[in-house]
Amino acid sequence: MLFNSYPFLFGFLPIVLAGFYALGARNREWALLWLTAASLLFYAWWRPVNVLLIAPSILINYGLARAMERTGQDKPGHTKIILIAGIIFNLCFLGYFKYLNFLGGALNDAFGTGFVLTQLVLPLGISFITFQKIAFLVDIQAGRVSRFTLRDYGLFVLFFPQLIAGPIVHYREMMPQFRAASCRFDATDAAVGLTLFSIGLAKKLILADPLSRLVAPLYGHAAAGVPQSLTEAWIAALGFTLQIYFDFSGYTDMALGLARFFGIKLPMNFNSPLKATSIIDFWLRWHISLTRFLTAYIYNPMTLALSRRRMALGKPVFGGRNTNLSAFLVMLAMPTLLTMLISGVWHGAGYTFILWGLLHGVLLCVNHAWRLIRPRFWPDTKRYNRRMAPIGFLLTFLSVVFAMVLFRAPTVSAAVMVWKGMIGSYGAALPQAVFARLGVVAEGLTALGIHPAWTSGTLLVEATLRIGVLLLIALLMPNTLEMLAPYEPALGVKPAKDPAWLRRRLSWAPSGAWAVGVACIALAGILSLGELSEFLYWQF
Amino acid sequence: MSDEQERLTTLTQILRDLLGDDSIVLTAATVRDDIPGWDSFSYINFIVAVEAEYGVRFRIADVESFPDVGAIVAAIGTAARR
Repeated sequence: MLFNSYPFLFGFLPIVLAGFYALGARNREWALLWLTAASLLFYAWWRPVNVLLIAPSILINYGLARAMERTGQDKPGHTKIILIAGIIFNLCFLGYFKYLNFLGGALNDAFGTGFVLTQLVLPLGISFITFQKIAFLVDIQAGRVSRFTLRDYGLFVLFFPQLIAGPIVHYREMMPQFRAASCRFDATDAAVGLTLFSIGLAKKLILADPLSRLVAPLYGHAAAGVPQSLTEAWIAALGFTLQIYFDFSGYTDMALGLARFFGIKLPMNFNSPLKATSIIDFWLRWHISLTRFLTAYIYNPMTLALSRRRMALGKPVFGGRNTNLSAFLVMLAMPTLLTMLISGVWHGAGYTFILWGLLHGVLLCVNHAWRLIRPRFWPDTKRYNRRMAPIGFLLTFLSVVFAMVLFRAPTVSAAVMVWKGMIGSYGAALPQAVFARLGVVAEGLTALGIHPAWTSGTLLVEATLRIGVLLLIALLMPNTLEMLAPYEPALGVKPAKDPAWLRRRLSWAPSGAWAVGVACIALAGILSLGELSEFLYWQF
Repeated sequence: MSDEQERLTTLTQILRDLLGDDSIVLTAATVRDDIPGWDSFSYINFIVAVEAEYGVRFRIADVESFPDVGAIVAAIGTAARR
């Protein structure tokens, strides 16, 4: 069931909320049980058979966690073995559905083997759910989870606002909230939730979806091997970047808003990533809960293990400006590349995602290296940041847009076609209609390599306007977290000490003016409900 | 100078080297958000450098949950005694 569908908005959500508040007034436990059951129904809606997959996996994980809890302090060795078994189980579960086909295909390509590929249907949200389950087991081993019941665990895994595409949450940040939740209607929570949800819905349906219709034919052409002119290629790259930006940002706002109806605050996931002034900064703003997971459970343990080995061998460790090349390569570049490779593979089983992950890994390494080299000739960090921020922003933006092509293109060769178009390999082009009106000038343009294109003048104008307006929104407007900051829209969000003028003007308050504004946004969103369009991140 | 003060001075120097910023001063109450550039990526390198400096090993679970610099200073003490 999509958040942006009639059955969800006018059937499922009102019924679940009414039941939750009504039960909460009598008994909190019933309300939470109701929420867990509703979440299971939400999951089953799409393909009921998936419940038969997710339910046993929840039970097995719960059993493993209980076993770890029992061995706990007395036999840490046993706990570790159960943990490893649990991680392997969860990874195999994910691997079977997500990667088996890709692996078979890759082996067939490479060695001419004849593995028969059957198209398994990927259970919705499995990548997100798997990460969350692994994190839970690791947290048990680390002693970060004190007590839990099957209902607690089931609710943690299934909580429908963040079930399909995150934010990826930790048990220790969710369960205390569920335990403390009043499970009753709260006017402030409802107002904040409604605002977040309405803005998210509008972002998805009004801002992101039209771009999808705009860029789809362009990637179709690239896949078919049709060369793209400079303008077309840039429309494809910028258009998709903004599409996924508003799609994911909209999804995240809706997830935060839905959780808030139940009195629950989800962690930050999206914080104006296109405003980033470095690639490191970008990853601290885009899909924050994934970066947090990858650093805590993959990057940090890997770096720690590698450096301890180096220390044992008596080699110097990474120490910033005193670092030598080998320490940089082993302790920073290697874990970064591996982590981003895993991130790429996690997003999808395909060469484009692997390449996308590696590309971001390389960009992060360059960023880290620059951070080390720069102070040697420009020691004043504050001044450097002030002066060079615009250049940092531009480089980051272009890198992100270039890499995003891999996220959308169906094959690597299609992505290369778009990239070649972006650097002008296939020349520039103007719409046929514009060309026809230019007369003699057109001949001169042809001599310069500018030729008439299939795109209509209307399409060009529409694309330019849409991309321009959305860029301005993404780069200049305060985001929803900033607008709602005094009401903690996401866990740990605090109001800025000295907000800029626009942010002060657009700071949300429970007032009549905002009620009318948000109602208009919600109405515009609901009126745009039409053909169902999935969230891009639901495919992962 | 007390043990704690001495460790804070050493930790400050380590972070200055790591981030290439000599204006950094750490106190027991400093959290990562207070220091520009001290993000989740450079955090682990700081921990590694501290381990190397004091010849100690933190538990990875603790590393993820140090609330502030004071907790790291305290953990150096416990790890050294272990």
